[in-house]
Amino acid sequence: MERQRIGVFVCSCGTNIAHHVDVDAVCESVQGMPDVAIASSYRYMCSNPGQEMIARGIQEHQLTRVVIAACSPRMHEKTFRGACKRGGLNPYLCEMANIREQCSWVHSDRLAATEKAKALTSAAIRRVRHHEPLESLTAEMCPNTLVIGGGIAGLTAALELADAAHDVFLVEKTERLGGNLARVDLTAPHLDSARDLLTERITRVRDNPRIKLLLNSELRNLVGYVGNFSATVRTNGASGAHEEKTVDVGNVIVATGYQEFDAGRVTHYGHGKLPNVVTSFEFERMLRTGRIETRDGRLPQYVAIIHCVGSRNKEFHAYCSRVCCMTALKYSHELKSANPSCYVSDIYVDMHAFGKGCEDFYKTTSEVKTLFLMFDKNERPVIRKAAPSDDCDMLIEVNETLSGERIEIPADMVILMVGMEARSDSGEVARLVNISQDRDGWFMESHPKLDPVATTTDGIYIVGTCAAPKDIPDSVAQARAAAARILGKIAKGKIEIDGVFAEVQDERCSGCRMCNELCPYSAIEFNLDTRRSHVIPAACKACGACVAACPSGAIKGRHFTVEQLHAQIEGVLL
Amino acid sequence: MAARKLQIALYWGAACGGCDVAVLDTNEFILDVAAAADIRFWPIAVDGKYHDLEAMADSELDLALFNGAIRNSENEHVAKLLRQKSKLLVAFGSCAHMGGIPGLANLVTKDEILATAYLSNASIEPGNQTIPQARTAVDGMPLEIPSFYRRVYRLCDVVDVDYFVPGCPPAPDQVKAVLLAVVKGELPPLGSVVGASERALCDDCQRTKSEKMVRHFHRPFEILQDPSRCLLEQGILCMGSATRSGCGVRCPNSNQGCRGCYGPLPGVADHGASFLSALASIVDSKDPKEIDQILAGLPDFISFAYRFGLPASTLQRSYR
Repeated sequence: MERQRIGVFVCSCGTNIAHHVDVDAVCESVQGMPDVAIASSYRYMCSNPGQEMIARGIQEHQLTRVVIAACSPRMHEKTFRGACKRGGLNPYLCEMANIREQCSWVHSDRLAATEKAKALTSAAIRRVRHHEPLESLTAEMCPNTLVIGGGIAGLTAALELADAAHDVFLVEKTERLGGNLARVDLTAPHLDSARDLLTERITRVRDNPRIKLLLNSELRNLVGYVGNFSATVRTNGASGAHEEKTVDVGNVIVATGYQEFDAGRVTHYGHGKLPNVVTSFEFERMLRTGRIETRDGRLPQYVAIIHCVGSRNKEFHAYCSRVCCMTALKYSHELKSANPSCYVSDIYVDMHAFGKGCEDFYKTTSEVKTLFLMFDKNERPVIRKAAPSDDCDMLIEVNETLSGERIEIPADMVILMVGMEARSDSGEVARLVNISQDRDGWFMESHPKLDPVATTTDGIYIVGTCAAPKDIPDSVAQARAAAARILGKIAKGKIEIDGVFAEVQDERCSGCRMCNELCPYSAIEFNLDTRRSHVIPAACKACGACVAACPSGAIKGRHFTVEQLHAQIEGVLL
Repeated sequence: MAARKLQIALYWGAACGGCDVAVLDTNEFILDVAAAADIRFWPIAVDGKYHDLEAMADSELDLALFNGAIRNSENEHVAKLLRQKSKLLVAFGSCAHMGGIPGLANLVTKDEILATAYLSNASIEPGNQTIPQARTAVDGMPLEIPSFYRRVYRLCDVVDVDYFVPGCPPAPDQVKAVLLAVVKGELPPLGSVVGASERALCDDCQRTKSEKMVRHFHRPFEILQDPSRCLLEQGILCMGSATRSGCGVRCPNSNQGCRGCYGPLPGVADHGASFLSALASIVDSKDPKEIDQILAGLPDFISFAYRFGLPASTLQRSYR
């Protein structure tokens, strides 16, 4: 193997590393290793002077490889690759040894931690010898976008992109736009009309020539990779006929929304059996038609609202559906304004009023004399039919936790605040666009805090309630965020593809197709003519699944080759 | 001047004899070999004694084909003699190449093997307590037999090997090709595997292959197989994807899964592990319990995946 000139730079990270690792001893231990040209330490390697030290070191010592013993590569690999590039070295000829997260932060024995830091650094030195210079690739970015779902999130995203003069294919499964919001009357906490919010959006979508609206339509297939997807959409016509068309898109926004929890699953609330137990959506319908009445046409005098139906409960969904508390308060307002003499009981577990303006809304609702009763989430209220002598239709027993009393309240109507759940077809959507779901079925984001609308598949974005329960402002913000991400990529025109990806070595592939179905990113295609598999670099995330699976050793994980990994393991062990 | 006749020897170590038969399976070609070469040592076909071999000058032979694994001291002794006496030494067949079927003995200890063979076997005299020893006295005279090693070795574990010809046994066409290459002096770089492809068997297998998702593993007799479709996709274990081609797809063409006798592809460190890793990747379930059930359908997997190469693997031998 050809001789290398390796520069080793050991970081103290202030006292973060130096407190538990003898940084100078690490330097000394590698000084005599074959091919090590220099080894030096510095207080903050990631600082400007630290990076300068690396760049200068490369030039002064004609370094051909660089090892930086510092923090996790997740933290600063990009920083140090940049420093190498500035020093005139291919950025992939750099390797990090993690002596902070994997060493100083997790050990308290200074001697042992120092020994481990030496071993990790020696492993990095052995590995970096086998590094190969890699170049990033570029691919075209198709400026069209596919938006799946015509609710408030999908409409907003489509408009944002079309207003920037790009073509959008807006696919909606049903025959009308608006999604779940179209089923709502007023919205909390400002009591704006949902109809008003939607009408403006829908009109603009219908009038915008950049938006190709596909109602009664579903995505049937998606192939390709970021910037270069080909989407097949099926439109169902009247009388069962349907047509399919294929469109080219660069990105996909999934805005498929949620479905309401089926209240009938909480059997003892009697939804579907007791005529005046209704769900929040059934009550919204009453509000929209302007007729709040019991099944037999009476104005209800006693209304009870029960929270967390299907939410915050191990039996159904453990999560909070986030919008129901404020919606329940909204019902108090609307009931009181329709019938000021009406008694409203709000039976809740915890009152979640975290949104902007929501706490004020809670206060004003208390002022309209709503009776608030708190129950333990594991001890649900009991609804039973009232006796003919009672002045009401039903009686509700609540173990009120604040007073500690068992309270019985009358009710002519019970409103069940049903939570949100992942749509029953979300698994199919996830499969089609190749994204993951969490245990509740919600689509998973690339990073829950730092990358909330992107997914682990480049070019696929998730917005609104398909990712988790959220309110209208959050859904709209996400739609606009995804549109902004896409517009940024369109403006750039090309996509840059990291040089680290898996590669099928054609002369060794036997066409066994073992890897084809395995790729979680659908990055492997099979050429039926040559009978060889091929990895699409732009779609590959370098996870290594195919590399490990290939029984012929024909797939090479660039930057994670067998030689590199074996050398690294030897470095730790020897 | 007539070309000097090629001086060749063939020998077997721990082997079944199939490799010798494979050489004879070249039919009349063997007569051409006999015409072009002096077969100086080949216990199955020509008379010869150890001392004939010992008496040869170093490198007097041009070519020695050694089949069989190294199981005992006699195997090793002759291997070393042949190495010394021959210009070229070829590990011929799966046993010499990778340890072969005898190599499966490395799954158990020497003591267990001897106990099974001499103490607790249905075909021995009841109550037998005799286990053969390397040195013993018979009627007062010392008797020495080869000593039985603690494990099975490949040929290359005991001597330097110039070429490897894989197969159990090597296909007759490959045998011919190898002999002709020596005759013509057209030899690949030392240390090469010859008579085999650089790609896996799937490359030559005519069965149609599609994406692989397996929910049940079957033994070949348990299902009616589709003769035109990839065996593995039908749940029949086939090592083809992990094994060098070159045999002529003998097993899959006979509706049996490839058993891996041609060994792993170049650059693959462990044949069985590479196949296991691939197999684990195509199990069509994400439910741990169901995965366990599916994998329970693999009978004696280690003997399947390492049928021909346990001594060549990272597993080496039992240390119990």
